[in-house]
Amino acid sequence: MIKILVIFLLIPFCIYSQSKSINFHSPENKKKFADLLFCEGDYLRAVEEYESIRDVIKNDTIDIKIMYCYSEIGLFNESNNSLKRISSNSPFRWAGLHLRLKNKLIENPKGLRVFHDMPSPPDMSERRQKLILTSNLFDEEIIYEKEDFLYVFEKGEGQTISYFYDLKKNPPYKSPALAGFFSAVIPGSGKMYVGEWGDGITALLVTGLLAFLAYDNFKANHNTRAWIFTGLGSFFYAGNIYGSIASAQIFNARIDFEFRDGLNLFLQQKNYFMPEYDFCN
Amino acid sequence: MTFVTELFFKIPLLAIVVINLQAQTTFIDQFYYAKKLFHEEKYFNAVTEFKRLLFFDDTNKYDFEANKFIGLSYKEGSKFSDAIYYFTLAEKNVQNNEELFETRIEIIKINILRRSTGRAFALLDSLQNDNRYINKKDEINYWRGWTYIFSDDWENASSNFESISPNHELKIFSDSINSEFYDVRLSKVLSIFVPGAGQFYTGEYVSGLISLGWNVLWGYLTINAFVDDRIFDGFMIGSLLWWRFYTGNLQNAEKFAVEKNLNITNDALRYLKNIYSGPKP
Repeated sequence: MIKILVIFLLIPFCIYSQSKSINFHSPENKKKFADLLFCEGDYLRAVEEYESIRDVIKNDTIDIKIMYCYSEIGLFNESNNSLKRISSNSPFRWAGLHLRLKNKLIENPKGLRVFHDMPSPPDMSERRQKLILTSNLFDEEIIYEKEDFLYVFEKGEGQTISYFYDLKKNPPYKSPALAGFFSAVIPGSGKMYVGEWGDGITALLVTGLLAFLAYDNFKANHNTRAWIFTGLGSFFYAGNIYGSIASAQIFNARIDFEFRDGLNLFLQQKNYFMPEYDFCN
Repeated sequence: MTFVTELFFKIPLLAIVVINLQAQTTFIDQFYYAKKLFHEEKYFNAVTEFKRLLFFDDTNKYDFEANKFIGLSYKEGSKFSDAIYYFTLAEKNVQNNEELFETRIEIIKINILRRSTGRAFALLDSLQNDNRYINKKDEINYWRGWTYIFSDDWENASSNFESISPNHELKIFSDSINSEFYDVRLSKVLSIFVPGAGQFYTGEYVSGLISLGWNVLWGYLTINAFVDDRIFDGFMIGSLLWWRFYTGNLQNAEKFAVEKNLNITNDALRYLKNIYSGPKP
C-alpha cells in the first residue's frame, strides 16, 4: 500500500518535469522560434527554420514570410520561386506578387510597365501603380505625361515624385563638347563651365604663363628654352581640353548616380509601396 | 508473489526516474549541442542553437553562457557589433564578479579588434578603478598593452607589459618594434638640407637619386637664369619647377617613412596573429 502511495506521489513530479520537457525541433516550436528570428530581423536563420517546416505546416503566412526573408537577404530567385506556393485564394497572394515586382526592380532597376495591366484588388492596384510609375523613372525615357504620372500619389510623396520627374525630364547635364570647345578658346573656361572654378583658374594661369614664357624666349632668341616652354604649354593646353571633356562626363555621371541613389532611397523609405502586415505583435 | 509485487513497484518507479531525468536534460543537452557546434567552428549553426535555447529556456539558467557563446560566435565571424550586443546581454545576466570581468574583457577585446581603442581604454579604466578587480591588475595591464599596440603606440604598450614582468615576451617584442621605426621628422629634416637624403634614410635609394637629380637640374636653371639677369625666367622656373620638385621631395621623404613604419606595424601584427602563442584579442 505504501509503495503504491509512493508511486502516486511521484507521478505529479513526473507530470511537472514533462511540462518542462521541450522538443526544440517539433514543427510548432520551430515555427515559434522562426517567428522570433523573423521579428529580430535575422532573416537568414528565420528562412532556414521556416523552410524546414513548410512541408509539415501548410500556412500561407509562412510562405509569404519565406518570400520576404529571401528578398531581404538578396536571394531574389528563391523569393520569386516561393510565390508559387502561395495559392491564388490566399490574402497574401497580391502581396506576394507585389514583392516579386519589388525583387525585379531591386535586381534590375528598370521600368516594370509590362506588368501594368495585371488585375488586382483596388488597394493593391494603387500600390502597384505607384511602384510601376516610379520604376519608369529608372528608364531612359519617361512614357507618361506628368499629370498621368502624379495622379496616383498622395500629396507628400507626390512632391518628391514630381521633383524626380522634373529631374529626369530636364537633367542639369553639362555638354562635354561645349566644355571642350570652351577650353579650346579660353584655357580653363571649360572647367569653369562644369563648376570646377579652382581648376579652371589654375589651368588658365599655367597655360597663359607657359605661353608667355615661350613667346618671351623666342623673342629673346633663347630658342631651346622657348621650345621647351612651347612643348610644356601645348601639353597643358591639350590636357586642359581633355580634362574639361572628362569633367563634364564625370559631372553627368554624378547627376545620374545621385538621381538613381535618391530614387532608390525614396523607394526604400516607402518599402516599395509594399502592403504592411504586423507579423510581430 | 512478493517478487511480482516488487516488480510492480520497481518498474513504475524506474520509469518515473527515467522520464524525470530525460526532462531535466533537455536544456542541458541543447546547451551542449550548441557548444559542440561552437567548438567544431560551425559558428552560424551554434548561434542558431544558442538562440533556440534562449528562446525556450524560461528558467533563464543559460542566459549568461548562451549569450556569451553567441557573442563569441559572432566575433569569430567578424560581426563585431553583433558580438558586443550579445556580450552586453551576457553582462546583464552575470552571476558573479568573475563572469562580469570575463564579459567586460571580451567586450574590450572586440573594441581592440575593431580599433575603437578609445572605448577599450575607457572600459579598462573602469575595471582598474573597480575595487573588486584589484587582484586582476596584470590582466588589465596586459589588455591595455594590446590596446596600445592597436593604437600603434608601442612605447606605451611596452611599459604596460613591463609592469606585468620586466622580461615579458610582449615587452621585449614591443621594444624591438619600437626601435625599428623610422623617425618621420628626421626623414623630412634630412630632405630639407639635402634633397633625396630623407629617401636615402628610409632605404629608397632610387627615389632619393631621382629627387636629387631633379632638384639639381631645376636649381641650376633657376640660378643660371638669375645670373644671366633673366629675373622673370628665374622666378618662373624656380617657383613652378624647382619649388614643385623640392616640396615633392619633402612630401616623398615623409611618405616613405610613414609607409615603412606602416609595414613594420603590419609585420608585427602578422607575427602576433600567426606566431605569438599567448592570449590575443
